[in-house]
Amino acid sequence: MDAEKVTQNSETKSHDNNPSDKQQENPDPLPLKVETENPSPPDESQSAEAEIVQQLSTDDGVKTTDDGLVQEDDPNNDEVKVEDCSPLPPDLGKVSEEIDQFISDLSNLKGDNESKPPDVPVFVEQFAVLVEAKIEDYDGGDAPIKWSQLSQEDAMSFLEFVDRISKLLNSLCQFSSEYKYAYSISRVDGVLQRAMSYIEEEFKSILYDYKIPDSDFNSDTSTKPNKETNSSSDTNQDAEQSSVAESAPSEDNKFPGYTEEIVTTMNKLSKALIAGGYEVECCQVYLIARRKALEECLHKLGFEKHSIDDVQKMHWDSLEREITAWIITFKHCTNVLHSSERKLADAVFADQPSIAEKIFSNLSRGMMIQLLNFAEAVAMTKRAAEKLFKFLDIYETLRDLLPLEDKLFVVSYADELKAEATLTRSRLGESMVSIFSELENSIQADSNKTPVPGGAVHPLTRYIMNYLKYVAEYRDTLEQVFREHQMIERADSTTGSDFDCQNPQAQNETLNKLSPFEAHMMKVMDLLDANLEAKSRLYKDTSLSSIFMMNNGRYILQKIKGSPEINGLMGDQWYRKRSSDLRQYHKTYQRETWGKLLQCLNHEGLNVNGKVNKPILKERFKSFNALFDEIHKTQSSWVISDEQLQSELRVSISNMVIPAYRSFLGRFSQTFTPGRQTEKYVKYQPEDIETHIDELFDGNATPWGRKKL
Amino acid sequence: MPMTDNQGSFLNRISIRRNQVSNMENNHEQDIEDLELFQKHVADRFSDLLPNDPPSTTDSPAIDQSPLFSISWFRKLLDVFLCCEAEFKALVLIGRDPVQFSKPPLDRLVPDILERSIKSLDICNAVTHGLELVHHWQKLAQIAVTAFEQKPMGDGQVRRAKKALNTLLTSMMLDDKENNYHAKAAERTWSFGRRSGGGGGGAGNNNKDRTNGTFRSMSWSVAKSWSASKQIQAMASNLVAPRGGEPTGLAVPIYAMGTIFVFVMWALVAAIPCQERTGLLTHLPLPRNLNWGQALIALQDKIAEEWKKKEKKGTTGLLDEMQKMEKVAQNLVDFAENFQFPAEEEKLEEVAEQVAEMAEICRKMEEGLTPLQQQIREVFHRIVRSRAEVLDVLDQIGKMSPPVPY
Repeated sequence: MDAEKVTQNSETKSHDNNPSDKQQENPDPLPLKVETENPSPPDESQSAEAEIVQQLSTDDGVKTTDDGLVQEDDPNNDEVKVEDCSPLPPDLGKVSEEIDQFISDLSNLKGDNESKPPDVPVFVEQFAVLVEAKIEDYDGGDAPIKWSQLSQEDAMSFLEFVDRISKLLNSLCQFSSEYKYAYSISRVDGVLQRAMSYIEEEFKSILYDYKIPDSDFNSDTSTKPNKETNSSSDTNQDAEQSSVAESAPSEDNKFPGYTEEIVTTMNKLSKALIAGGYEVECCQVYLIARRKALEECLHKLGFEKHSIDDVQKMHWDSLEREITAWIITFKHCTNVLHSSERKLADAVFADQPSIAEKIFSNLSRGMMIQLLNFAEAVAMTKRAAEKLFKFLDIYETLRDLLPLEDKLFVVSYADELKAEATLTRSRLGESMVSIFSELENSIQADSNKTPVPGGAVHPLTRYIMNYLKYVAEYRDTLEQVFREHQMIERADSTTGSDFDCQNPQAQNETLNKLSPFEAHMMKVMDLLDANLEAKSRLYKDTSLSSIFMMNNGRYILQKIKGSPEINGLMGDQWYRKRSSDLRQYHKTYQRETWGKLLQCLNHEGLNVNGKVNKPILKERFKSFNALFDEIHKTQSSWVISDEQLQSELRVSISNMVIPAYRSFLGRFSQTFTPGRQTEKYVKYQPEDIETHIDELFDGNATPWGRKKL
Repeated sequence: MPMTDNQGSFLNRISIRRNQVSNMENNHEQDIEDLELFQKHVADRFSDLLPNDPPSTTDSPAIDQSPLFSISWFRKLLDVFLCCEAEFKALVLIGRDPVQFSKPPLDRLVPDILERSIKSLDICNAVTHGLELVHHWQKLAQIAVTAFEQKPMGDGQVRRAKKALNTLLTSMMLDDKENNYHAKAAERTWSFGRRSGGGGGGAGNNNKDRTNGTFRSMSWSVAKSWSASKQIQAMASNLVAPRGGEPTGLAVPIYAMGTIFVFVMWALVAAIPCQERTGLLTHLPLPRNLNWGQALIALQDKIAEEWKKKEKKGTTGLLDEMQKMEKVAQNLVDFAENFQFPAEEEKLEEVAEQVAEMAEICRKMEEGLTPLQQQIREVFHRIVRSRAEVLDVLDQIGKMSPPVPY
């Protein structure tokens, strides 16, 4: 039979090459470390190994090649001829070849159920001893040799042996029911476990030895050339590593905190672990190490963890700062961290894409949920007008950046994240809509009874218009928010907030054509108007009411003109309507103030039978002067801060008053006797009137006397 | 399930009635009826959570599908929470005149419940993190199970199992003893002990150079200095039963719901590893005179009893699977300590039993942990949702609108 031949062959071989007696009598004085660092001719290594074996057999707790013990365990199984061969093979290379042959023989045997498996050849034990000795070299002392300290050759050959051990174990395990295989399986498995334990620890230690790249957005680390990374293969590694890690460039194609070389090593180690059946250990080690690294990253990016409870209690100033940090962190996560993390997982588990995917998703999911929790906590804070813009920023961040994650995640994770983010966004949306309707309510409710002196622009107008200017800059997002919220409202009939239809009849037609957001903007404007109108009634003087309305109306129009966003929102029609409203106030004002004055200059009733009625004329002049003085006195304390409006108004007053006055003067002034009488009644020349008109609306209650000519 | 049927009809009843009858006067009697029904449901549901057979409590492995404090029991508990919460909302919010929320005693009780909601959210998050850790433990236990199931059982696999189990036990112990996720404990909690399985001569403690780095407060924690036990305490502190004859009946369900909040969160914290649990209350202010209070007290006594045991023994929490896992892990480590190849048949049979038990625990965790986590997330979202709805109602009262900040 084939198998028997193999066994015999190998036994003879091992006898040929393995003068065991000689070796045991000839302990080699060479220290172990030296041996490992320069792979040496067979005879030297043999003797070194002899020493190891001796050491091992006296080592407590570790069962190795105690022949006696084996015999005791299997007293009646002579087929396992462990006792008659030496455990000391001459050469690992040769034994390896034999092992490979054995593995392939066993695998050829596999399908054949009839055939009895061969006895375990002695070189299996020899191989176990040799590999074990190697592991002992690396992992034996108090300070195991770091993987990075191994020469590339040593590392390679170690992994080769481990791979062979894994394969050997797999082959043997096909016959695990064979009693005669039990010992060898246990033996090989024991060696494998040690190798795995060493590799696992090295894998872990390499994983933990990362460097968090400096915040990539403002780093200047990408200056060093890439090539340097690859040149370090066999020189002093420790120093090289750290300098390479430090110079890790920040391009997206870089691994997070590891050099490419290190990543290659990690890939080899993970491969060995998985091949050895230690996949769970490997994944857990990786997961935990990277979890820690990512946490550190978040911290370094400035994202601090706060409980939801704390966020509610935080001052807005501090919370604003946290939100800014959150946005930066979130951006960095989605733009850089996650893709590089994915890349790392893909590289380390290059041969196991499903593992890479799972691990990455697990890691990033935890991170994203944490980040989303913060956004959620913010959305839950007490609503206030000034928060709207930060809420919008968070909302936009979630909306724009989360889709970047889609391609990185397994579908199920991506869906979960999407669902979570959608929830968070809709909470933010609800908050924003509610902030908006609160704003509407508070405009409606604002009933400050103190009129602004001089009819100037009301602070409410300023506040609202500046607020709306910012709001309009977020137009598209707010459109979306209101649209989404409308849908939620419709779907969720149990909560009956009905801010949308408070004023159904009057505006229904126009509102229907508007988007929800436009409708809200309109509503805010209308509410503001209504409020201002109410406030204008606080002035006893109708003219001052008009001035107040003109001032505020003008301010509103100027703001709208100055912001293309609002302008676009409100539309030309609206603007024209407003302008004509303003003209209306202007007219009212002119009528109220100056109409009365002009009545004094009415020619009617002055001519009686072709002659001027002097007493009446005197009355007219007297009342004109008094009225004008009065107007000048009050209205120069009124305020029109918009210069253009001010001059428009003055010009229009002058145009209205001066020609009339001039003609009145021209027609009637000669009625008076020149000198005292004229001086008494004709107090002002037209030029004086003009000068005085130009003093109106200055907002300074100038003492009358000083300006008198 | 009768529970859900029950609830469906209750919700329908309330919403139909509220929609039909707008006259509050006529509603009064029915209100009282609804209120009674709500309390009865609460009492029934929590009674259902008690073990069927009162005399034989914890030590009889009930044939019940979900033994006390098992993962599936906690899932039931959360179901109960969600059901009660839904009914509560229907009772208190649907069709009510919002104005009463601005009058005493509700003007004080409603903010309290909002505050409790917020604190509950943090607890949900903390517990979710805790479950991540339990997941990790399950993986470690799974390693041991796989290793022990290898045939023949050899040194290598036994060492492998021992290493995983030692890591598991150390992690459980650290988590409990240091009881806080900060500083170094967290990292050790979350990592594999180096060579704790003692493979080869290098089992010495040489991880100083390995776990280097300036590590601080890095696991998925809630926030620095956040403490589960303090939050529970704060939640329980203003839980006061309404005095008899309070004018509005709503004080009673609000009180009941508040109590349910505290109770459920407290039970979760006691069961699942959680940031800072030292000094967790063992006694909640529960009403003896109300029927649902009795059911809660019965459960509380069991939980408190277990928790005290836990504090004495230093186990990780009440979660049944976790406790069993710890015990079996200890047994398996003992076995592994004395293992020699080849093992005696007798011993192998013995250990096979333990391994089977561990495999069963792992299976239950594998099946149950993720759904439990998802359910906690559901509770989280529900609480957020309901809080928003309450705020909406308060908005309607109008008094909430702040002045324009000009």
